[in-house]
Amino acid sequence: MIVDLMTLSRIGVAAIVCWINFVLIDQIFKLPEKGGVSGASAIAREIERGNGSLHGGYMMGNIVSSPDASAGTLLASCGVYAAGIPGGLFAAVLVYIGNRICYDPGYAGTTGCISATFIVYGFTRIGFAASDFIAGMVIAILTIQGISYIHASRLLARIWEVRSR
Amino acid sequence: MNGQEAALLVCGVIAIYAAIRVILEKNTMRKLPFLNVVSFAISGSIVLITPHPLAILAAAAYFVGSTFESNAIASTWAGGPKNE
Amino acid sequence: MNEIFAVIYGGLIVLGALATMVSRDPFNKLISLGLLVAGVMPFLSDRGLLDVLAATALIAPLSTIFVLMALGRDAREP
Repeated sequence: MIVDLMTLSRIGVAAIVCWINFVLIDQIFKLPEKGGVSGASAIAREIERGNGSLHGGYMMGNIVSSPDASAGTLLASCGVYAAGIPGGLFAAVLVYIGNRICYDPGYAGTTGCISATFIVYGFTRIGFAASDFIAGMVIAILTIQGISYIHASRLLARIWEVRSR
Repeated sequence: MNGQEAALLVCGVIAIYAAIRVILEKNTMRKLPFLNVVSFAISGSIVLITPHPLAILAAAAYFVGSTFESNAIASTWAGGPKNE
Repeated sequence: MNEIFAVIYGGLIVLGALATMVSRDPFNKLISLGLLVAGVMPFLSDRGLLDVLAATALIAPLSTIFVLMALGRDAREP
């Protein structure tokens, strides 16, 4: 059982594309500005207490406590994998409903889902598989939430400084 | 080994890694991002195992339920008297 | 699903159950229960029980919310 190098490199490229997509859309919709719900603010305060950065912590807390553009990217690639373009748009509707359940306006999630649907469909035209994008999105969220909250929150805060200038 | 199995292997390994990080982390609030990584990996593998349109609905239901649970835990924890 | 994935997701269930037993803080117990529920889902998807999966995925957070309402606000360890 050997993972061939071609599949691994496709997953790596997909991870970079997904990372750029969801970080860009989250920053455009001002997720690092403040905690959308009280749970997100609590997570941001704990991250700041552990030597992290406050604005990066707000973005990580918002990702945890409501489905935003990262969830939209994952569910859009799941939808394209299962049912093509209509699956991706169906996933956008589901992300919007999920955002309303979690008391969030839901613009970031829906926008990220629709844009990711067309990005993933475009990449499947040139030889990528949609399953590569599912694995790539899981790797991309791992680099933000799962490796080190100190470095990730500082990186997100630095991008936020450039965005809010 | 085709592309679907490779993606499933990546999801499973990341889920186990994040679960170990959840257990090893001491602070309650800092556990929640790792739990979020687990739910990303699991909702990806739900669709990867069964490529069916209803699987999108199931994965979205699982993901929304998981984030709602994290949200409730975090806001109840923050509502304690010691933190205000 | 072959044996490797069964071992991976079964290991997730066992890890969640052990962490639920060992941890003392009630919030940590709830988070570890979320880990256990996460490990159950791929097995349901493998058998094709997608409706059962959607129902379970919605019932588990609701039961967590009821437990949180019973916990109240000052159940945290000092």
